[in-house]
Amino acid sequence: MPLRISTRERMSATFRFVVLVLCIVVFFLPLVSMVVTSLKRMDELYRIPPRVFPEQPVWENYKLAWTMVNFGKYLVNSIVLTLMYGLPAIMGSCLAGYGFSRFPVRESKPIFLLVLATLMIPFMVTIMPFYMIMSKLGFVNQRILWFIWGIPGIPFIIFLFRQFFSTIPTSFEESARIDGAGRFQIFFLIMFPLVQTGIIVAAIFAFQWSWSEFLMPILFLSDEKSTLAVKIAMGYSDQKENVLYNIGMAGIVFYTLPLVILFFSLQRRFVAGLLSGGLKG
Amino acid sequence: MSRKPVVRASSLESERRASFYLFIAPWIFGFLFLQVTPIVWGFVISLTNRSAFPVAVKFVGLQNYLELFRDADILQSYWVSFVYTVSNTLIAVVTGFFFALLLDRNVPGQGFFRTILYFPYMIPLVAVGWIFRLFLERDTGFLNVVLNRLGVLASGVPWLQTYPMGSILMLSFWQAGWSMIIFLGALSTVPRELYEVATIDGANYPRRVRHIMLPLISPFIFFQLVMSFIYAMQAFIQPYIMNPRPIRGNWMMRNPPPNEIFFVMSRSYFVMTGQNRYAYALAILWVLFAFVLIFTIVFVRLGGFWVYTEAGERR
Repeated sequence: MPLRISTRERMSATFRFVVLVLCIVVFFLPLVSMVVTSLKRMDELYRIPPRVFPEQPVWENYKLAWTMVNFGKYLVNSIVLTLMYGLPAIMGSCLAGYGFSRFPVRESKPIFLLVLATLMIPFMVTIMPFYMIMSKLGFVNQRILWFIWGIPGIPFIIFLFRQFFSTIPTSFEESARIDGAGRFQIFFLIMFPLVQTGIIVAAIFAFQWSWSEFLMPILFLSDEKSTLAVKIAMGYSDQKENVLYNIGMAGIVFYTLPLVILFFSLQRRFVAGLLSGGLKG
Repeated sequence: MSRKPVVRASSLESERRASFYLFIAPWIFGFLFLQVTPIVWGFVISLTNRSAFPVAVKFVGLQNYLELFRDADILQSYWVSFVYTVSNTLIAVVTGFFFALLLDRNVPGQGFFRTILYFPYMIPLVAVGWIFRLFLERDTGFLNVVLNRLGVLASGVPWLQTYPMGSILMLSFWQAGWSMIIFLGALSTVPRELYEVATIDGANYPRRVRHIMLPLISPFIFFQLVMSFIYAMQAFIQPYIMNPRPIRGNWMMRNPPPNEIFFVMSRSYFVMTGQNRYAYALAILWVLFAFVLIFTIVFVRLGGFWVYTEAGERR
């Protein structure tokens, strides 16, 4: 009996392995197409019959992707806005998660449900009127808007931090309290460093949102302050307004690279964080 | 900050309440000023005839809403958004669940596969749109080249032009990594002993999935259905980048996609920035908001009937 199960287990593992490899091959096709196209000449792209690999890799495309749109400037803009949004968003989520987990009062449960309910509000329903209000106040084209937008935190991350904090025993805080520490001292010096995993998940979320957000920069910011997401979305084109796929793909490689690096350097802790803290409860 | 010794229970309670509100103050600020205010203000404006140039603004009551429900283009936008949302949700949930099933038990290279399958989800939509626009190209797109080499297709299919909605839905497969992570987390909460007991009792794999796994992870499936519905209703940029019509230079956002993929969000953006009809755009958004709200509430209510909960636990 045990022998039979283990043979079957092994067979099913092999089967699943094969299916997974097939899935990955299919998943990689668009990425392969992106990379090889970024190394082709434009006329090569439309040759019939099509060829998969470039005759001679054109590294020039990567240089052009950088110079054609002043990539460096938009990269800096994207980084600045990501930090301006990310830092308050992490802090705001952490503060709220702590509040919900540690100070249960009668109304904290309904308010927490309200936090989750805000997930239901379509982004555009708030951002469009917000844009009109801000332009009425003459307050557009300001980077500080990203900071303001980050202050309240992110509902899902608030939820996550609440879970993380509730796994930490209260004895730490009690002894600190007896030693005379105030509530914010306790929070910043003792609790905040204990939820590193949560901070990593929050950072990746905030980074990903801000890096890929298209609507907010295109509504609020002039071209001078705009982000890479907008530039990449608009694509690369030549003088006659023909779309240049090869250079566009090179631009996308540059644009995606920071996310890829961030993800692969932190993915173990990111996935572990999502799996352990967030989902139980 | 020194602290007075606490003597009475009620003062402990008020102390705790003070802490609670101090810590969630940023959220309350955001909720009131970044969400409630714009939404209410947006509704008020939707009752006027405001355009991009706020001259001669006057109250017109529900006129925008009445117009909206007679506007066939707008109604079609709601419909295609709905069709897209339902399809996208099903694809994401089924694909994510399938991957999670493949990865749940020991398989060589588990961590590697998990990372790679999640990876496309990390790529921003503005990039994904372009990657697929290229990938689905008729003559030289990789999909046609591969299908041709495999002998599945003799001649190239212009995917974007023939199946605009299907092309956009291909992204849902590609980006199912998020729902895979949710389901992997869900499956890890199912006690292993239950499978072992069921196996000894003679339940085969499909029956173990059907009678043990699915009921136990039903709350997660439910959560994923709701969230994915809400997010997909907000799809905005895909129709513009994957527009079947040719894209010229920097004119992408001025170039409306055909009605069969003109989602509500994309449409309201166009009505606002392309036609300068602010009030009308807000009315379109408000109807969508109401729809999402009602749909979610009904769904959550209905969900109570089939979602498994621990005995005695009320959700």
